[in-house]
Amino acid sequence: MAVETVKTENSDVGTGKTWVDYIQKDLPEHLEWWPYTLGAIPLTLFGILVTTGLLLTFYYVPASDQAYESVDRITHEIYLGWFVRGLHKTSVDLMILFLLFHVIRVFMTRAYQSGGELKWVSGSIVLFVTLAMGFTGYSLVYDNVSYWGMTVVTNMVGTLPIIGRPLLHLLRGGEEVSGVTLLRLYDLHTKLLPVLLGGLALGHVVTVRLLGFTTVPGSREYHQFYPEHTMKMGAVAVGLLLFMVDLVMIFPPVLGPPANLQEVASDVSPPWYFSAPFMWISLLPGPMALWSLMAGAGLFVLYPFVDRVLAERGWPMTFINGAVAATAVGAMVVLMYLDLQG
Amino acid sequence: MAIIHDDVGRRRFLSQAVMGFGMVFGMGALGLRFLQFLLPNGAPRQPETVLIGSESRIPLGEAVPMDLGGQKILVLRTDEGVAAFSRRCTDLGCLVSWNRERGQFICPCHQGTFDKTGLNVSGPPPRPLDRLDIVKRGDQLYVNVKSA
Repeated sequence: MAVETVKTENSDVGTGKTWVDYIQKDLPEHLEWWPYTLGAIPLTLFGILVTTGLLLTFYYVPASDQAYESVDRITHEIYLGWFVRGLHKTSVDLMILFLLFHVIRVFMTRAYQSGGELKWVSGSIVLFVTLAMGFTGYSLVYDNVSYWGMTVVTNMVGTLPIIGRPLLHLLRGGEEVSGVTLLRLYDLHTKLLPVLLGGLALGHVVTVRLLGFTTVPGSREYHQFYPEHTMKMGAVAVGLLLFMVDLVMIFPPVLGPPANLQEVASDVSPPWYFSAPFMWISLLPGPMALWSLMAGAGLFVLYPFVDRVLAERGWPMTFINGAVAATAVGAMVVLMYLDLQG
Repeated sequence: MAIIHDDVGRRRFLSQAVMGFGMVFGMGALGLRFLQFLLPNGAPRQPETVLIGSESRIPLGEAVPMDLGGQKILVLRTDEGVAAFSRRCTDLGCLVSWNRERGQFICPCHQGTFDKTGLNVSGPPPRPLDRLDIVKRGDQLYVNVKSA
């Protein structure tokens, strides 16, 4: 598959169009090609997450002595509880997976260029908030892995210079991981972060519509947004939901042993989307690991500007991006493999 | 949109500046108080000497885990005597366990290891395990801990 460098179409900022104009506006025909629909899948999954998450809050109790039992009851006693929890869990896994695919597509086609920087920056914040949702979510289960995961991650926050200690106290609500910590992570997971993520995702979509889709050479505008494109999105959403129902039935959610404050879980491996950074922390000594992760995240957010500077000096960015993406994905796979082995 | 060449005048500018400053100050103070509301005000920990039992209870070459008011420690007895260490790994706060075969403390989270003197030997831990003072009165052992 030859990846062609793309450009952003003319911006609509300040043209006084109404939202009806956007619905009726034709899209470039390359949006029919499936890699260009990858962004809509995480949005659909976010909807499923909100729905199932709302259902789960009716039974979940965010107290350290009842959290595990309530998750146990949801998983084993309540009618279709295992299914709702499974759907919630599978949606997170798939949301992050498809966000990564979406990022790779945008990265490979350099769709963040010339006016598209805001699309990239807003999207990368959406990715980070989604990862924060993943962390706070798996902490709520309060089994042994999630308890020690909570301890490790909050400690890691505490090693940041200057803001580290106050931020650690803010997250934990005290010196130690306790019931207050669980309540705080619960509030973050069910109130602050979802509202933030919803707003950011909406902002990202509006930004993309206002700044315009990327244009691919030879792609003419004839693909209708409504009803053609919306129909297609709907079909993708329904197909996705069916696929997920199958996934949940084949891999129902499990629950580890309850949190043990006296003994660390024998395997503290986090969910797959954190296993590469987890392994990275294990391999590098001390603060180096955290620093390199933060530098990587910063570089990720600011990549469009790095690209512009390098491209102006005549660097072959299409080739470089391909190499960077291949290296990043390769490194992630190797680190995940090491985590599985260890 | 702002009108360009708007002649604001000194009086109006000063009035707006003072009001603006007051608004920022007031909102900032309120925000700071809200942040204080969220931050825990933990009482400072008091040093305390706790009786942990007789030395003969601890087998030679073994480390016994104990929980002293939330502070988790390991009391290790070797040929050189008895020593107490905090179980909190100095890397990211998981709990270390004593491995008798290897004669080392091992943290399961990121494979940090410490030798029998608490010195960080391998893995990510940046410094040795925290050591607690042991006081011996007859056969009875006391540990100095900081309790909440």
